Amino acid sequence: MAKAKASVSKPYYQIVRETLGANVENGNLPTGTRLLVSAVADRLGVSRPPVKRALELLADDGIIMPLSSQGYVVGAAESPMNPARTNLHGLQLELPVELGSGLGQASWERIFAAVEAEIMNCIPFGTFQISEAGIGDYFGVSRTVVRDVLSRMDSRGLLAKDRSLHWIAGPFSARMLDDAHEVRRLLEPGALAATLPHLDNPALAQARARVAAVLGGSVALTQDAVDTLEADLHVDALRLVRNKRLAQAVQLSQISLVINRLFDTYIGLYEENDMLREHALVFDHLLLGDCDGAAVALRYHLDADHARARARLKVLSVFDAADIAPYLTRIH
Amino acid sequence: MTKRLKLRVIGRSEVLPRAVLELAAKELPFDLEFELVDSVKGLQRVVTSPNTFDVYHQWHTVDLIWTARAIQAIDLKRIHNGELIKTQAMARRSDSGAMGSVFNQLFVQPSGAIGAAPTGEIVMLPLLHGVDAFGFLPPVLKEWPAGTPHSWGWLLDRRLQGRVAIMSDPVLGMIEAALAVEASENMRFADVGNLTIEEIDTVADILLHKKKLGHFKTIWGNYQEAARSMQRGAVLQSMFSPAIAMLRSQGVPVISAVPQEGYRGWHVDLCISSAAQGEQLEAAYQYLNWWMSGKAGAVTTRQGYYFVLPELVRPHLSEAEWDYWYAGKPAQTALTNPAGKPSITPGEMREGGSYLERMSRVRVWNAFMDEHTYLVRRWREFLEA
Repeated sequence: MAKAKASVSKPYYQIVRETLGANVENGNLPTGTRLLVSAVADRLGVSRPPVKRALELLADDGIIMPLSSQGYVVGAAESPMNPARTNLHGLQLELPVELGSGLGQASWERIFAAVEAEIMNCIPFGTFQISEAGIGDYFGVSRTVVRDVLSRMDSRGLLAKDRSLHWIAGPFSARMLDDAHEVRRLLEPGALAATLPHLDNPALAQARARVAAVLGGSVALTQDAVDTLEADLHVDALRLVRNKRLAQAVQLSQISLVINRLFDTYIGLYEENDMLREHALVFDHLLLGDCDGAAVALRYHLDADHARARARLKVLSVFDAADIAPYLTRIH
Repeated sequence: MTKRLKLRVIGRSEVLPRAVLELAAKELPFDLEFELVDSVKGLQRVVTSPNTFDVYHQWHTVDLIWTARAIQAIDLKRIHNGELIKTQAMARRSDSGAMGSVFNQLFVQPSGAIGAAPTGEIVMLPLLHGVDAFGFLPPVLKEWPAGTPHSWGWLLDRRLQGRVAIMSDPVLGMIEAALAVEASENMRFADVGNLTIEEIDTVADILLHKKKLGHFKTIWGNYQEAARSMQRGAVLQSMFSPAIAMLRSQGVPVISAVPQEGYRGWHVDLCISSAAQGEQLEAAYQYLNWWMSGKAGAVTTRQGYYFVLPELVRPHLSEAEWDYWYAGKPAQTALTNPAGKPSITPGEMREGGSYLERMSRVRVWNAFMDEHTYLVRRWREFLEA
């Protein structure tokens, strides 16, 4: 189902399990290779709990065997047993992007975006309790990592603790939208104007042409088309902001994008001509090199879009969230 | 043989009493399928599946269903007496307190938004409106010195602990509770029809506290439950006027309050599904025009509802009915409720006076608040406490 995109769609232990299984099957992890939790975690660049769980499941499947001493060994029970202490870093393994992109990232960073997206997708519909243990199981990460993630969300104002110290998210209030908008209209136009000298004219012209194509009807108004148009103006055009603090603050204030996307999912996409014309206006100013005009046009667009998002949030408040992450429980 | 046309109508049970359903079935040349939904489920259906209904009797959510594109604009030229609606809107623009909510969100503006400036298209056909307050039994008055004006504060008054009932609907329930908190705690909310998060918290905290003290005897869901609640010992409670008509026909001497703080106003209007087209759309317009004949409005008058264009229902009411319900005069004869059972005895007068006297005392209109999700969270907390 379409919604704000989550960067991780399945639990980490599943990814680890499938990765190891595939590498055993294609011979990258030869029969007899000894697999210790810590060594595998180090090789894959993930924490230990998902590896431990994945190894247990692979053992249940008979793909690897528990060793009496410690760890596991690749191969079924009937295979000849001669566990080799191989340095796993010496093996060429095929790793999926989910793991590859995790290299060098702190544990919390890998799941932060996913948890944030799941929460944002639910709270327009009500109030949810978040299970620390549930997140740990789902992503195969330790409680320490989970607490890190949640406290970072807490500092962004996305969560709170109730009287019995449960983590609570939501509901997404009109006030949240108002507050975010107030910040956004102060920051985003300035950020855009500041990036203009670094923007690439052909790319701008292409983005402007994409708006024209949808406005003119030669490209259908689909969810993908809208995603692309929104990203053109509100993500890609701001990518070159030098001030990372500013870039992050802008991104945090863009929560109305979630409301618009959920509205399109639950209610459907209809005419979006106002939004398209507002986007076109901003790009026209950018293409002329008119910083001030672009900032004014963007501020106008943000105000108009805020009014639309507010009306849409009201519609969403009538619904129940259709699918929620297993670590969230609706309480109101 | 061709399949007979069937018009699908969604509405609340209060708005569509049996007598109206029967009259419609008799007078309209197509089949009618009425679905009476008293909860938010009706609204959810309308917003998500416009293809499952043709006509919807909306209340206080027209902005929301218009945003959701669940309804289509109604061409005033195709509505009998459509010009009257426009004239009415013009005449009442200066009178926003009494009629505000009916006409403020009525006309389709050139931008596609809804507004008050009259145009040729409307998003809903205004039909019924009225005012609500709480109802109570005569012994309640003994708790206050004679002549004390009725007050919403009574809903939360300690003297009535354990004998009060309120409704379960979060939208209306919160508005009434806010009126009660204003009166009992001597505070003032900026807009009772659109409370802020902090104001919702204030009201909800007081309600929760009161509930834990055992203040509320029952919480009811529709007018039949409201009537039962009073038969079972609630002496003062939120009320819908059909419940008053029902209780009186059963001999319960319930009094409809005239709160000094003003009434909670409401209106119910007809909307056409955005999916209706062809002969379904034709039938929808016929249904709307049938309501504009005033016959159904005459039936709902007998449970205390006003028709937005009173002159259209007048020919279908007896003089005694008109005088009692609209003119605020004493009943010249015994009057019946929509089911035909006696409900008003000769000499009785309607509490609050005439149509205009009552309507001009609206303090707040039913409204789906901006912080609805938050409101529902706190309201459920109250219901579950």
